[in-house]
Amino acid sequence: MRSGFLRRRLFRRTGIALTALLALALLAPILITAAGAFSRAEWYGQRSEGAEVDSTPKLFRYVLEVWGRALLRSGQIVAVVVPLALLIGAPAAWAFRRLAFPGSRLLEAAALVPLAVPGVALAFSMIQCVQGVPRFWLLAAGHLAYTIPLVVKTVGNAVETFDPRLEDAARSMGAGRLETAARITAPLLLPSLILSALLVFAVSWGEFNVSFLLAPPLLQTFPAALYLTYTTNSFPVAAAATLVFLAPVVPALIAIQALGGEEFHRGLPA
Amino acid sequence: MTPRAHSSAASWAGALLALPLLLFLLAAVAWPLAHLVRRAFLEDGEALRQVMAAGRYRTALVNSLALSAAAAVTALLLALGPAWILARERFRGRQLLRTAISLPLTFSGVLVGFLIVVLLGRIGAIPKLIEALTGRQALEGAAYTFGGLFLGYVYFEVPRAVMTLESAFRRFPWELDAAARTLGARGLERMLRIGLPIAAPALRSTLAVTFSASMGSFGVALILSRRFTVAPLEIYTEMTGFLNDEVAGALCLALALCTLTVDRLLALGKRR
Repeated sequence: MRSGFLRRRLFRRTGIALTALLALALLAPILITAAGAFSRAEWYGQRSEGAEVDSTPKLFRYVLEVWGRALLRSGQIVAVVVPLALLIGAPAAWAFRRLAFPGSRLLEAAALVPLAVPGVALAFSMIQCVQGVPRFWLLAAGHLAYTIPLVVKTVGNAVETFDPRLEDAARSMGAGRLETAARITAPLLLPSLILSALLVFAVSWGEFNVSFLLAPPLLQTFPAALYLTYTTNSFPVAAAATLVFLAPVVPALIAIQALGGEEFHRGLPA
Repeated sequence: MTPRAHSSAASWAGALLALPLLLFLLAAVAWPLAHLVRRAFLEDGEALRQVMAAGRYRTALVNSLALSAAAAVTALLLALGPAWILARERFRGRQLLRTAISLPLTFSGVLVGFLIVVLLGRIGAIPKLIEALTGRQALEGAAYTFGGLFLGYVYFEVPRAVMTLESAFRRFPWELDAAARTLGARGLERMLRIGLPIAAPALRSTLAVTFSASMGSFGVALILSRRFTVAPLEIYTEMTGFLNDEVAGALCLALALCTLTVDRLLALGKRR
């Protein structure tokens, strides 16, 4: 018995150590990058930006100056994509569970299809066949295709976990459909709606595959700007730009984990 | 699915609520993809035949398939232990580890590519560390080899694999595990003989998730690829460099079909 207990403890400790090691391996390059933005060292190599970036505040000011437009563009996209993804995805997810209609299962499956379609392929097809739509909205549509599935899944799971009799009770006590939706359904689904919004934000903020092809050169989003930084700027500038990119993502991720973002894994763009 | 909505009024209300989704999918997904398929078969599918014939395009497709499959399997193996621990054990710092491991999920491919350069580039951290420790030069510019590219793919797939597996392990029937323990099975044995068979569908869906993510990714390759090319990169080059839309379209179709086929195969035999 005693040796079994010890072995179990060893198993547990080894497992935790391995997990910590994996987390550390994933974090290591990010930490090195962060250090790069705040320190000076010989191995940075040549700098094309010269005296413009010789101190940390100047470095970040330079990044914001050069990539401010792309940052703004990403902000605009996120501001459009987050509410639209919720407005399109959440009512549908609720309907799939509560008001099934002929073909609703098929539609639900269809909503998840984009996750298995490579971003470049979808972006290319969109450019080829949609003409006359402003590029901004094309870009937003590309983002929506990859974020709506997350909303459908997250909200769908949440609808399954609460008792439909709560809605029935409200109805039988005289509440109309709208009142039931506003006072029973929406509050119960609120956590999953917040989680969905955070997921959509995190995915849309980092999306590159679709954005890079769909956005015209002057309307590039911030991840595309990162590509330009990585290929043209020196390491400190690239590192600072990376930190600017990460700044809103890290709090969002912490919030997602705190809310239990189990549906987070699937279908994120790479 | 709850068999609650019977009345046709409820049916109509449901359909109305899902209508925006339907319209969006038709306009932004179905229509473009249908267009892609139609164009690929224009002129007797000349472009498609060109892509499938031996040469650069087919090599890129095969490379994509091989790289994605290898990275998916590697990521799965690396993720098994940590996912199991995160799902089963309660310990201080667990939430912190989960958040740290999930962080790279939002990274675009270019960012991952850059991180690999930071580690293994020509003046990367690892070559510098080796030089400082041993005085010898090693692994300089390894980021730009096949190994570096592979590492990049594994880097962004490991978090996906851990998160997918963890939520599967959490729904795991622990009674069976407890029964096996009562019968004297040890930790590792229980994991191999009870855990893995029950988790098989989850393993397959994890492979599907990571595989399709890497098939579509082109940021990593955009930064790291030198000689070894992958399909999304070829599509991008054909489209923007050579303005060869026919070939780019056919490549897109082939890539999407390969991804969907592998996903389907992995989903076969999955319960539910």
